[in-house]
Amino acid sequence: MRRRELLAQRLIILAISFTAGLVVIWLTSSSPVQAIHSFLTVPFSNRYFFGNLLTLMIPFIFTGLAASISFQANEFNLGIEGQCYFSALVGTWLALQLGEVNRMLAIPLIIFVSAVTGGSFALISAFLKSKYAVNELISSLLIGYSLIHVTDFFLEGPMLDLQAGLIATKTIDNGLMLSKILPPSNFNSGFFWGIAFLIIFYFILRKSVFGLKMTIYGQNSRFSEYMGIKGSKVVHKAFFLSGAVAGMGGIIDILGVHTKMIRGFSFGYGWTGIAVALIASNQNTPNARNNPIWIIPAAFLFAFLESAASTSAIFSDLTPEISKIIQASIFFLVTVSFWKKSGDHQTT
Amino acid sequence: MEALFHETISSSTIIFFAALGGLFSSIAGKINIGLEGLMLISAFLIPYFSQLFGSVMVGLSFGIVIGGILGAFIYFLHSRFKANIFVLGLAMNLFAAGITTFLSSAFLQTKGTVYFSFPTSIRPFDIPVLSNIPVFGILFSHQNVFDYLSFIFVIVIYVLLEKTFFGLRLKTIGFNHKTAESAGINVKKYSYGAYILSGTFCALSGAALSLPLESFVANMTNGRGWIALVAVILGKNNPIGVLGAALLFGFSSALANLLQINTTIAPKLLMTIPFLITLLALIAYSANEKKTGGKNEP
Repeated sequence: MRRRELLAQRLIILAISFTAGLVVIWLTSSSPVQAIHSFLTVPFSNRYFFGNLLTLMIPFIFTGLAASISFQANEFNLGIEGQCYFSALVGTWLALQLGEVNRMLAIPLIIFVSAVTGGSFALISAFLKSKYAVNELISSLLIGYSLIHVTDFFLEGPMLDLQAGLIATKTIDNGLMLSKILPPSNFNSGFFWGIAFLIIFYFILRKSVFGLKMTIYGQNSRFSEYMGIKGSKVVHKAFFLSGAVAGMGGIIDILGVHTKMIRGFSFGYGWTGIAVALIASNQNTPNARNNPIWIIPAAFLFAFLESAASTSAIFSDLTPEISKIIQASIFFLVTVSFWKKSGDHQTT
Repeated sequence: MEALFHETISSSTIIFFAALGGLFSSIAGKINIGLEGLMLISAFLIPYFSQLFGSVMVGLSFGIVIGGILGAFIYFLHSRFKANIFVLGLAMNLFAAGITTFLSSAFLQTKGTVYFSFPTSIRPFDIPVLSNIPVFGILFSHQNVFDYLSFIFVIVIYVLLEKTFFGLRLKTIGFNHKTAESAGINVKKYSYGAYILSGTFCALSGAALSLPLESFVANMTNGRGWIALVAVILGKNNPIGVLGAALLFGFSSALANLLQINTTIAPKLLMTIPFLITLLALIAYSANEKKTGGKNEP
């Protein structure tokens, strides 16, 4: 698909999805004009709301990147949600143990441990695939679901802070929190971690041997075998990286915004990440010519949707779930091809 | 023991219906991973319509029709606009989670548990005569209408798939599109049929989940659609195999439920049992298939 067609296609998809969302608002709101107006403008109305919109981009950049990495090798990591959530718990646990220490050393350590945790759980699916030919889409999803329940077990039991007033751990020492950038909003230096990893991944993808192997494997696994690329190795690495990035996204959200691990803080991050990665990918097959830079506008879009829905719910009778409906519409249309008529296409 | 048995049957029924939904799409060669979402939408809409129209039959009919339309919609985007079928399934799951919460807060003013009331409640009952048979009588006693329906559907679907032209043609399509086309089969028509059936059986599954409880909770399907998908794979496109897998998974969630009531083990840890047993079963199956050289890609 040519570049201009692709851009046009993305714009059409957005137009359709937003129209669908606005129609739903129109039908359900008692003062639709005000509701739509606040939906479209409130996130940009002041420093606080705009800062929080940018803050919401951070986890979406990470989960989007996580999904994007697995797509590049033509693998589906559907466990991002669980990997992100459980890694955040492990990172929080470590942060609580560390207490007051040198933050320049401690913060990278915490993020590293969370990354390894997320990566390891993702690696299980890759291992099961290469060893026993277990479908990675399903295994990562099942492990992801289990991880969510296990995390909730720790939050409701061993790590629960009874003083918190909600299901959450104790508060992490202030010295371990990421620096705030746009006070009073939650915008923090996690954003730059996200951008940094995007750039690193861009170079891995475009300039490294591993990136090339991953792309070739993703496009045609049989052909890559003839070239002497070890498929299982590529899948292992891709899954580990994918889970690791997902894990970082979880803990950075905790250290940047929440100050403690709260039950359900990341619900939806994984799926949004998949949507972000799909917009960032170029064709109706997710793996083809992935461009990680597109993750930034895609993450911005979904962050806008989420924050518009939740902030405008304060000023009008809007239900925040409206964002989920627009998001789902984008999901439905994102791999659609408007330019070619349907033909024979057995491969999915 | 009897409690475990009945719990197993009712958990299996829900998974089995959803798995039948997956089965048709799988046989046609394009597995539907939107089972979870289709179930969830129906689990909300069916009791909602039943309450609205004051009749479970009307509610059920509406739900089944909508399920069929949504199933057809997935295939429409795939066939007409070349959308990726996996992504469409994920989209359906996401859409379901959003729309059900949205509708319940827009129309019923609550995001928590929604309680419904309708004239006929779905309660367990005994089938006269049959329930008195020694040993096997347990199969015909103290089950609800969906459980009994699932017994009937195993036979109906088996006959439909194995003994009719419809089943044979569907299999041909799944085996090879080109072959099917050159044999004069209207691939599109049958694939639409498979996806419509997929939606309708997911609707039944959703009904079996929420109607007996007379309530709806956000995301109440809780991964059952995915477990059903594994049941389809394990059942090797055969309704009887699918039933066997559904029974295994039904047993695992029944076990988790009973342990939750009868022991002090943390409920959250018990909730991982169905997922882990499903995963183990999938691993065992895939390892065996790999050894014997079968293919198991959905």
